[in-house]
Amino acid sequence: MSQSNKLLVDARGLSCPGPITELVKAYRNAKNGDIIEVWATDPGFEPDIKAWISRTGNQLVELRKEQDRIVAVIRVTAKK
Amino acid sequence: MVKKVVILGGGTGGALLANKLPRDEFEVTIVDKQEYHHFLPALLYIAFRGYRKPIKRGIKTLLKPWVNFIPSGARAVNLYDRYVELENGKRLNYDYLVIATGATMDYSKVPGLDKVVEQFGNYHSTEENAWKVWNSLNSMGSGTLVIGLTYERYRCPPSPLEGVFLAEEYFRMRGIRDKVRIVYITFYPKPYPAEGINEIVEPLLKERGIEYLTLFMVDHVDPEKRVIYFMEGEEIKYDVFIPIPPHAGADIKYTPEDVLDSDRFVKADKFTNRVQGFDDAFVIGDASALPVAKTGVTAHLQADVVAKLLMGETAANTGRTHCPFDVGYGLGTFVISDFRNPALRFPVGKLPHLFKVAFMASYWDMILYPELWDPIFNAYFSATEPSKLRVFYG
Ligand SMILES: Cc1cc2nc3c(=O)[nH]c(=O)nc-3n(C[C@H](O)[C@H](O)[C@H](O)COP(=O)(O)OP(=O)(O)OC[C@H]3O[C@@H](n4cnc5c(N)ncnc54)[C@H](O)[C@@H]3O)c2cc1C
Repeated sequence: MSQSNKLLVDARGLSCPGPITELVKAYRNAKNGDIIEVWATDPGFEPDIKAWISRTGNQLVELRKEQDRIVAVIRVTAKK
Repeated sequence: MVKKVVILGGGTGGALLANKLPRDEFEVTIVDKQEYHHFLPALLYIAFRGYRKPIKRGIKTLLKPWVNFIPSGARAVNLYDRYVELENGKRLNYDYLVIATGATMDYSKVPGLDKVVEQFGNYHSTEENAWKVWNSLNSMGSGTLVIGLTYERYRCPPSPLEGVFLAEEYFRMRGIRDKVRIVYITFYPKPYPAEGINEIVEPLLKERGIEYLTLFMVDHVDPEKRVIYFMEGEEIKYDVFIPIPPHAGADIKYTPEDVLDSDRFVKADKFTNRVQGFDDAFVIGDASALPVAKTGVTAHLQADVVAKLLMGETAANTGRTHCPFDVGYGLGTFVISDFRNPALRFPVGKLPHLFKVAFMASYWDMILYPELWDPIFNAYFSATEPSKLRVFYG
């Protein structure tokens, strides 16, 4: 059984579309079952990540706003 | 004492920087694996217009007479011991190093892409590949043309959509627009990743009947069946596919290795362009891993900052972009932004297109005579600062 990985994408300080670019880079190398956690500061990231999830069919485990960042935890489930 | 500066790459950033450094303070050497400097923005016009003017010049002819030029690839850089190793094994020592090696194509990141490029070309690598695009478009009488992003790193953010708009204009001119379906693919949520510009270009795409697939990430391509496969299992069939290929950094071995990111771009400080962890090494232009647009304007402005820092002055990048964006029919917009201001909504008109044409005509002169052009650029950049233009196009 292959092990699932946890990947952290630190896109803090990057303006839109930086966080999505970094997420896609991580997603390219991920496999189903992996968890990708993205940290971003750009407010545009929130609508972007929702659109990304609804289009790709991956799972948004958590989307939370902390004092200094937006954190999105994604489970990769939709890769063919 | 005269300082030894080695610059890797004699493209836009490297050549400009070399010509800015005063001869009495610096001994400057440019190392480039090619004898020629290419004006890359012209690849767009070769690919979609069959542009025939020469787009390259000998690097030596673009440098001040006192700048040394070594026509050789660099194969290794040791940042601890301050040397560059050339292809023949010879070592060059430096007091300051500037990496300006641009970006190269890495088709292997998307399986099947190398064959697609062999067949249809692309307009981000070589003159030969740009001519292939022109021939591919010419041989199309009907069918589906797909243009789009295949990977997360590429040069010149407007250029993918510029190609789409110019292709649309070309098919209309040929009177076969109704027979050709044009599809643009991108992994971003919107056709153009920056909101201000997207608000300008998305309506234009709709108006011109160009389809677009957003949030589509290319997985691989089957060049025999002519199908692009996306990561979530969808596919699209094409007759001609012009990919914006994956870009990567130059094939140079760095010590320490961790100054490179996973795509071989060099990590740096976004304000000073100093290579991460080193005071005496800089990276400018497309070669850097910085999350700023890979454009000639960026390379140019970073060369200004690094020249000043080398001369002991205070200087810092503002993250300024100023890219003319051709939308066909003699019209265009500008992508204008900086670290503090997201891209403006610059309305479509004739000015950006004329700016692009004027820029193409004066490019070589600007590289060779920065002392004449800098005052003009400084005045222009200052007059068009995003914070000032925001009032009109915010
Ligand atoms: C279609 C298209 C349209 C564009 N339009 C615009 C535009 O409108 N406005 C704009 O500002 N920018 C535009 N650009 C982008 C612009 O051309 C680049 O951003 C710019 O050339 C970057 O300059 P550079 O000095 O970083 O790299 P380059 O100009 O690419 O120079 C890099 C140099 O390094 C050399 N080199 C590489 N590896 C080695 C090695 N190992 N050893 C020695 N030498 C090496 C290469 O031979 C090359 O000469 C466009 C690009 C394309 C493709």
